Amino acid sequence: MRFFLLLAIFLAFLAFFWILYPLVAIFLDLTGEKLWLTLKDLEVWQSLKISFLAATCAATLGVILGVPAGYLLARGYLPREFCESLLNIPIVIPHVAVGILLLNVLNNNSLLGRLAAPLGLSFVDTFWGLVAAMCFVSFSYVVSAALMGFAAVSEDIELAARTLGASPWFVFRKITAPLIFPYVMRGFILAVARGISEMGAILILAYYPKTASILLYERFENYGLSEVEAITALIVCVSLFLFALLTYFTPKAGRNA
Amino acid sequence: MLNVSLKDQIGSLNLEVSFTVPPSTYVVMLGPSGAGKSHTLKILAGLRKAQQEEIKLQGQDISSLPPEKRNIVYLPQQNTLFPHLNVEENILFAFRARREKVPPNFVREVVDTFRLAPFLKRGVKNLSGGEAQRVALARALCARPKVLLLDEPLASLDFHLKWELLDFLKLLPQRFKLSILHVTHDPWEAAFLAERLLLLEGGKILFEGDFSHFLEKGPGALGQSLKKFFSSEKGAFLRPLWGREHA
Repeated sequence: MRFFLLLAIFLAFLAFFWILYPLVAIFLDLTGEKLWLTLKDLEVWQSLKISFLAATCAATLGVILGVPAGYLLARGYLPREFCESLLNIPIVIPHVAVGILLLNVLNNNSLLGRLAAPLGLSFVDTFWGLVAAMCFVSFSYVVSAALMGFAAVSEDIELAARTLGASPWFVFRKITAPLIFPYVMRGFILAVARGISEMGAILILAYYPKTASILLYERFENYGLSEVEAITALIVCVSLFLFALLTYFTPKAGRNA
Repeated sequence: MLNVSLKDQIGSLNLEVSFTVPPSTYVVMLGPSGAGKSHTLKILAGLRKAQQEEIKLQGQDISSLPPEKRNIVYLPQQNTLFPHLNVEENILFAFRARREKVPPNFVREVVDTFRLAPFLKRGVKNLSGGEAQRVALARALCARPKVLLLDEPLASLDFHLKWELLDFLKLLPQRFKLSILHVTHDPWEAAFLAERLLLLEGGKILFEGDFSHFLEKGPGALGQSLKKFFSSEKGAFLRPLWGREHA
């Protein structure tokens, strides 16, 4: 028994080490000069800004579309198993293939491309292409989070509030919305993080404007490993910040009725 | 006075009931699980629609009114306190929902009745089962309903908390001038609380009257077994229960 416990501890340690070691190593290899040069590099900041903006737009769009879907799924208005499987499709398809799927339906000669053109929208190599690709790969995180939120709010709580004299809109504003907020926020942050880390679909649909992932890939291809350590460290910092936010908004077990 | 007549289909159960809840009276609807008790309460509260329903409160037909306009408050079996609000905010919820001014004397009376003053600022997640149920009752009373619907309010409580709440419940109709329709499958609760008893079995009202008459007649399967029990030597010492004066 003692042997198996020690073995389990050793294996768990290896697992954590495998996650932490590359993260720590990138900072250990970093020199002050390289970091300073990267911090002065406007293209790096521009790419981080584009990544963050596009991912935030995609996650916001995800919340607008995903919260109603989460409600309908949690309350049994839509077939839950079928819809959940559908939502997981973007996660299981290789992301370069996702890019090709999206390019097929969003290129300038496609039906959607032609419908969007009069609105001044184009998706190939544009900011809105980035948003479309990021939304496709991150949408399911928001819906799943909203679904969990609505499922955690007992319908009886809402019904009891109605009989106390509250209109459906008042119940939503004062009861349901505050209770699902931590869940939706968690889905939103996960979607932003997923959007920032996306590369495969973006590579195909919208190489430009360059996101941080694309810039990193391009510089690595052109200059090699030692030239991208500082940018990588910056991206890791942004990701860790999002991770901290995620931890803060993760609903505690049993927090909501 | 609440006059009810409704017909509905719940799975294979054909629910068909007509009954009356007199003003300021404690009415207990007794029946086994699956008899249609909770479903009946939800229809009365406007949370479910029956195939046919006629619900009159003080002569006014309220069948087509939404739940928030009926003046009937429904307290489900599970804890439905709002977990993000403290005790005081829960109690005052009805006033906020209706944009009414809070009447301090009335609220104080409710708070005193349920002895809630020491923990008004406490989060509801830190309440015991009995305290949570007292807060839920106080919150319901603050909506100043004409009728309060209680769905197995004591089911999840242990014995001593149950007895403590029974005393609270019993004095409510007279003190707050409202009728209570309390649904339970527990004959002891019915014996202790019911000024008027309804026996619901298989979707039908088999008896309407007081508890003594119920035992005399012994209608339905439940009535028969209770009649047998109370006639026996074992059950004799419990008979004074329903003879107790209502506060």
